[in-house]
Amino acid sequence: MLSIPIEYYLILSAFMFIVGVTGVLIRRNAIVVFMCIELMLNAANLSLVAFSSYHGNPVGQIFVFFVMTVAAAEATVGLAIIIAIFRNKLTVNVDEINIFKW
Amino acid sequence: MNIELILFIILATIAAVTSILVITRSNAVISAVFLVLNFFALAGLYLLLNAQFISVVQIIVYAGAIMVLFLFVIMLLRTDGEPRIFSDKRYIKYFALLISIFVFIQVSYLLLIGSPSKSVTGNQSASINSGTIETIGKELYTNYIIPFEVAGFLLLAATIGAIILAKKKFE
Amino acid sequence: MELANLYQSINLIIPEIVLSIALIVLVIADLIFHTNKKIIPFIAGTGILVTAIFVINQFNYIGFAFSTATHTARSFGMLAVDSFGVFFKLIVIVSSFIIVLLSLASDEIQKTTDRIGEYYALIYGMILGMFFMITATDLILIYLSLELLSLSSYVLAGFTKLRDRNSEASLKYLLYGAVSSGLMLFGISLVYGLTGSTNLYIINTLIQNPHINLFTLSFATILIFAGIGYKISSAPFHFWTPDVYEGAPITITAFLSVASKAAGFALLIRFVKTVFVSYETNEGFWSLIEVFDWQSILVVISILTMTLGNFSALWQNNLKRMLAYSSIAHAGYMLLGLVVLSNQGLIAILIYFMIYLLMNLGAFLVVMLIANKINSEEIDDYNGLGFTSPLLSVSLAIFLISLTGLPPTAGFIGKLYLFIALVDAKMIAVAIIALLNSVVSLYYYVRVLKHMYLVKATASTPSIIPSTSNAILLLVLVVPVLIFGVYFQPLVEFAKDCIVILGI
Repeated sequence: MLSIPIEYYLILSAFMFIVGVTGVLIRRNAIVVFMCIELMLNAANLSLVAFSSYHGNPVGQIFVFFVMTVAAAEATVGLAIIIAIFRNKLTVNVDEINIFKW
Repeated sequence: MNIELILFIILATIAAVTSILVITRSNAVISAVFLVLNFFALAGLYLLLNAQFISVVQIIVYAGAIMVLFLFVIMLLRTDGEPRIFSDKRYIKYFALLISIFVFIQVSYLLLIGSPSKSVTGNQSASINSGTIETIGKELYTNYIIPFEVAGFLLLAATIGAIILAKKKFE
Repeated sequence: MELANLYQSINLIIPEIVLSIALIVLVIADLIFHTNKKIIPFIAGTGILVTAIFVINQFNYIGFAFSTATHTARSFGMLAVDSFGVFFKLIVIVSSFIIVLLSLASDEIQKTTDRIGEYYALIYGMILGMFFMITATDLILIYLSLELLSLSSYVLAGFTKLRDRNSEASLKYLLYGAVSSGLMLFGISLVYGLTGSTNLYIINTLIQNPHINLFTLSFATILIFAGIGYKISSAPFHFWTPDVYEGAPITITAFLSVASKAAGFALLIRFVKTVFVSYETNEGFWSLIEVFDWQSILVVISILTMTLGNFSALWQNNLKRMLAYSSIAHAGYMLLGLVVLSNQGLIAILIYFMIYLLMNLGAFLVVMLIANKINSEEIDDYNGLGFTSPLLSVSLAIFLISLTGLPPTAGFIGKLYLFIALVDAKMIAVAIIALLNSVVSLYYYVRVLKHMYLVKATASTPSIIPSTSNAILLLVLVVPVLIFGVYFQPLVEFAKDCIVILGI
């Protein structure tokens, strides 16, 4: 394997990353915004794994392992905050949660 | 055309299409399901890249744990979907889209002129060795022991945080 | 990794180990003493003091811990213990101790007795994250420690939940934080791809060879800067700061504005110094690798940061929010010390941080003591306080004058050294812009004094007399601000001893 150029993986990763950023910019549902952030992290993971595999050293894959830990922790805390806000305001729309100016 | 390229094209198409569907579906549950599909496609790509361990963990942790958490919360809160994503603040959103496309072209251009494939040529046996659970486990518990411990404290902090945030109001 | 190496490495991370043990003791004590939680703050304070002793002890050590990667027969560690790192650890540990004292005096925190254990545990999580951030020399560890710090602070920002603006501050903090750390991660993945390593020192040696594509590398480092810039709240990543600072409990606001910013700066300085500097000239100027023009980018960012911070602060009516903008502006000033890329600039940053710690924590302490009484941070509610509560008003006046940078307070010394460094590096134009910014900042700081002293006290103006212990804490912060304004030699000497950053 590894006969196809690494650029293919990188372009795919860049594409997913930009889609994730776009999602963060245009979506208003806080939970979906979170999913878009997961998409960004996964795009970075893909390029890390691709580089790791083509370099032939495991550092990138170890990094991905840690990123998964962080993603899990971040999702836990993030969803807990969303639940806390939902209790107060009965909404998860980031435009309506708006005492402050965004 | 070899089998690797065919597999890559199939999986990459799934990953790209599902990622677009995640951000365009108005119903959060459907977005979440497409995100799970996207993670499966990524797991397949990781296998193509000889990263067996990461591929399995991707399915267990991301598709299995994180996304189930998301689905739980979505169903618990029963929020309404956004009626039409491009209905309010239309121009700002089109502008964001335009900028994203521009940035994507730029990033791809940067990656292509960087032409990493000249300096990074895949070495089949080294790549297979580096992806096994044995190599990763050994590295994790020797050279990367400090990040590993920090990750442990990260999870402790997240646990404490989630508990106090989700606790019912005190008083 | 051999056992001897491991043993030697463990010697170098004793403060972190002590901190972790204290954190675990705290969590367990919280479970044991769940009926009477009065003891928890004392355990937290003691743990911090013990850690402080070991941190001071670290001045004797220097070296790499946990050497992993070997490149051209040299091994570089995952952590670098040097006097620069110890200095920032001291800043963090001193401010955390003051925060523990502040929390004891804060009504807002004292109302949440049933969750006080979690509160201190998360503060410990933040300290641990900052310690690793300050010493880390590996991108994996940098990313993880940044996340440990961020996750703990997201939760603390929404900790009290007494008013719903708290959890909102939390959500906003989290969303911005997650996006910027995602950007940073993508940048890191590109750097790893280009060099095949995550160790800063190895990256430094590798990017000096011409095969690496510099455009891609510049793009990646800009993305990494997004993650760090978010932590020090520099423009254009400062949007979260005012809302989070206003919404979070005031002790956490104070902690974020001093300690978290210090850790971010330590990371930024170490990153720039180890990755992009090829050698140091005899006069102490850093010579950059010709990657791309870091210096002009930093100049633009720092001018943008301080201008945005100062001009937005002009219109604020909430004192906490005004202090948030002022802390953005101060981040801009401190970036100037990095812009000159010399040891002199570094010394100026260190001096500035010591003074900033005193004056900013002091200002927040006064705001908190007043908010305890009148339950408000609006500047209009400060009318006439100068006549009814002399001690608090005089201290606040001193802190605000020091934040402006006027003599005879310590703030003047901090600014003076920064400007001297700029002039020595022949950046007169930048120095003049920074000076004009200070003039602008005078307006909004003095506005508070005007409300306190020039508006007559009415019958409803409360008289606020702090308790003895709070008054002592206040004096401990006020007196040095005045003393260091005239007798600043010890600060300068100490800063000069603390500029060793382990290099190649």
